Amino acid sequence: MKPGDDERIEKILREAIPPLTGAELQRDLWPLMQRRLEERSFAVSWLDWSLIVASFIWLVAFPEVIPALVYHL
Amino acid sequence: MHAHPYLRAYMAGITIPTLFLLVVITVFTFVRYGFQVPMPIERVVVFPMAVVPNVWGAWNMLHVWSRSRRSLSLGLHGALLPFFLAPAGFLLAERLGVTFVTPLHAVTGFPVALIIYYLAWKHLVSFLNKLVGIA
Repeated sequence: MKPGDDERIEKILREAIPPLTGAELQRDLWPLMQRRLEERSFAVSWLDWSLIVASFIWLVAFPEVIPALVYHL
Repeated sequence: MHAHPYLRAYMAGITIPTLFLLVVITVFTFVRYGFQVPMPIERVVVFPMAVVPNVWGAWNMLHVWSRSRRSLSLGLHGALLPFFLAPAGFLLAERLGVTFVTPLHAVTGFPVALIIYYLAWKHLVSFLNKLVGIA
């Protein structure tokens, strides 16, 4: 490193990287983040629950199909 | 993030059956060696190990390809899969001498397979599709 190299590198970097403009947020992002956090990502409807219950009853009634079912999954 | 949608669809599609494969192999191995049930395990696992995950991946690719052309939900799209997989699985089982997959069992278990596929595609594959950015 020669004397004055630091200044030269600083000058080159300042020329290469333009100053940031408009970097301030246009709006508050926290409410949006909060809404996303509160959003239920996994909702099971009553129809889905009834299908699950029906499958369970079906498998209890016909347990002999379970191996064939596992084979196909 | 929007590059290679079909590759991401394939990867999202194979995830659930590949994870479930661990359960399948564990159950079959446990039944075969734990309870000494005579079962050709190497022939049994061919279908759930080689066919099912790849078909799920391809089916999810088909969903991504076709969603701009028709408006079928992912759950219903997944529920169509047993109509192809069940006969294929039964034929392969018959050819490989897997005796516990009989026509009666295949028919009796079919409604449950439809429900399981519908729910798995509606909730699990849908979640994975969102995760990889193709939902």
